[in-house]
Amino acid sequence: MSTSLIPPESLARIGEILYGPITVTINEREAQRYALAVGDENPIYFDESAAKAAGYKTMTVPPTFVTHAMVIPKPLSTLRTDGLYRDGTGVRLEVARMMFGGEEWDFLEPVYIGDQITATARLAALDQKSGSKGPFVRQVRETTFVNQEMTTVARSRQIGIAR
Amino acid sequence: MKQQTIESISVGDQLPVLHKSADEAQLFLYSAASFNPHRIHYDRAYAEFEGHTDIIVHGPLQGSWLTQFVTDWAGPASRLLNITWQNRASAIVGENLEFHGSVTEINETERTALLSLEERNENGAILMPATALIKLPSENKVQ
Repeated sequence: MSTSLIPPESLARIGEILYGPITVTINEREAQRYALAVGDENPIYFDESAAKAAGYKTMTVPPTFVTHAMVIPKPLSTLRTDGLYRDGTGVRLEVARMMFGGEEWDFLEPVYIGDQITATARLAALDQKSGSKGPFVRQVRETTFVNQEMTTVARSRQIGIAR
Repeated sequence: MKQQTIESISVGDQLPVLHKSADEAQLFLYSAASFNPHRIHYDRAYAEFEGHTDIIVHGPLQGSWLTQFVTDWAGPASRLLNITWQNRASAIVGENLEFHGSVTEINETERTALLSLEERNENGAILMPATALIKLPSENKVQ
């Protein structure tokens, strides 16, 4: 049995809210800037009549945009030298670095321009595994997105690999 | 845009290959649009200091390319229900990237199709394996 990379106080945080609940109004300009930066010119993001013809109530947004709409702007003084923010919410692990392992998304209902979306992220899992390059920790951060009608519109699971 | 239906697709169908290559300007715009200040996406010297060969393409940008790949093929009246991807290796600025995909399962009752997807670099290495579940309209029903 190798030594644990997960300190007991981090294990105790499983299920804890890491972010939110925070509510943001989905903005037409921000969503369209995102779509154009991706190079996705799907008319359902830009043209109300095209969106309605495709069965949407009004213009919708690129599927994963909802997570970027939630980013809380922070002062420049909180930037680290790598450009990331010091937010202090990271889960403490006995590892050198955390890498993105992947994402899983469920899209349950459309997100529309003007929706008020509330996001809450939890630490869903923290497991130590053994791989060919030695032990690593798989961290799952699950975010739920709920609209103004209290309907869950999307759920994301971001997988972090720490070693 | 073309519209697929549950009747128009078969298991084994290949999606038309999507080609992507992000230059510095696109990566800059993506950093801005996603309010992402991480230096590895715009500061070449810093990216090299961290051990990368050049400026790194954002993982979530490649995720959005995957959803675009699926929704461009499926058509606007289809609904993406799930996308799942693994970050296996990084992509760098200017690299020619290709998205490949095929239909692996069809559920006619639910009107859903499961797709197997891959993002590959110009050497054929798989950067992001993925799956998608999509709901399609039917030619026999009013939507």
